[in-house]
Amino acid sequence: MKKRKWFINLLKEEKWLNDRLAEGYACRRVGSLGGYVFERSERPMVIRLDYQRQMSAEKYEEYKGTYADFGWTHLKGSRWGSVQYWQKPADGRDEIFSDAGSQVAFYQRLTHYALTTASLFFIYTFILFNGNIFAALFDIKASYLTEGLWEMEGAMFWRAFLFETPFAMLRFLPAWIFGLAIVMALYSYFQYVKRKKEYA
Amino acid sequence: MKHPLLPLSETMHYILLALKQPLHGYAIMQTVEQMSEGTVILAAGTLYGAIENLSKHGWIAPVPGETGRRKVYRITADGERVLAIERRRLAHLLALYETRD
Repeated sequence: MKKRKWFINLLKEEKWLNDRLAEGYACRRVGSLGGYVFERSERPMVIRLDYQRQMSAEKYEEYKGTYADFGWTHLKGSRWGSVQYWQKPADGRDEIFSDAGSQVAFYQRLTHYALTTASLFFIYTFILFNGNIFAALFDIKASYLTEGLWEMEGAMFWRAFLFETPFAMLRFLPAWIFGLAIVMALYSYFQYVKRKKEYA
Repeated sequence: MKHPLLPLSETMHYILLALKQPLHGYAIMQTVEQMSEGTVILAAGTLYGAIENLSKHGWIAPVPGETGRRKVYRITADGERVLAIERRRLAHLLALYETRD
């Protein structure tokens, strides 16, 4: 079974993946552009998502080795600051964090991740729209550069409009991703503060 | 100034105590599970983070000469000093339990 879905919120992605596994599947592959491949599985499986900042090759081997010793299979991830996908058969020891401190640290890393994503898309949008972030976010028309497009009528308009849409998306989507990443950063940050208060 | 890892969390405490003998990651989890009579079961991410944190502060260190796939760690002299501080703190608390009863 193949599914295509796109997530900015890593916690929602984890929830969605585990909902699929609960239907009797195991995840076989996580693609880089929102493609997931599942296969039927007799054993109930669990997936956990972690985020790690950039680390040395040696550290990364140790990181992966530790998880592997605990029975986790690495589905996807790189050592250059990325989300790490871990899967294992469910056996009651299904969490990757077992104490308050590491939970808090996880949400701290998550905030950092969302902020990095937001900054990246902010810079891209800023350059593309000469600093006019609001136009990028709220004025979709500004992303269409064909002269006189909005004065055209009928088939001619639709042809020109549809032709340019993929290019316009390259202009306005990054702005939206920027907005979503900001929301995600705030959400992770509040989770971080909340857990920290709960535990400390 | 107070050290960010002090007072030690239960996780850190058990790991430092376990590493009075050289152990690799998974063996730390098993040892801690035994030592705590099954009450502290470390998960992979927590253990990895704790090892990284304790190494960063120089309280544990990889044992040189071990060439297996897994790194073997052991407590350092600094780590022992931290345990000594914690021991005094806990002994003081325990003494209070006795006198305030």
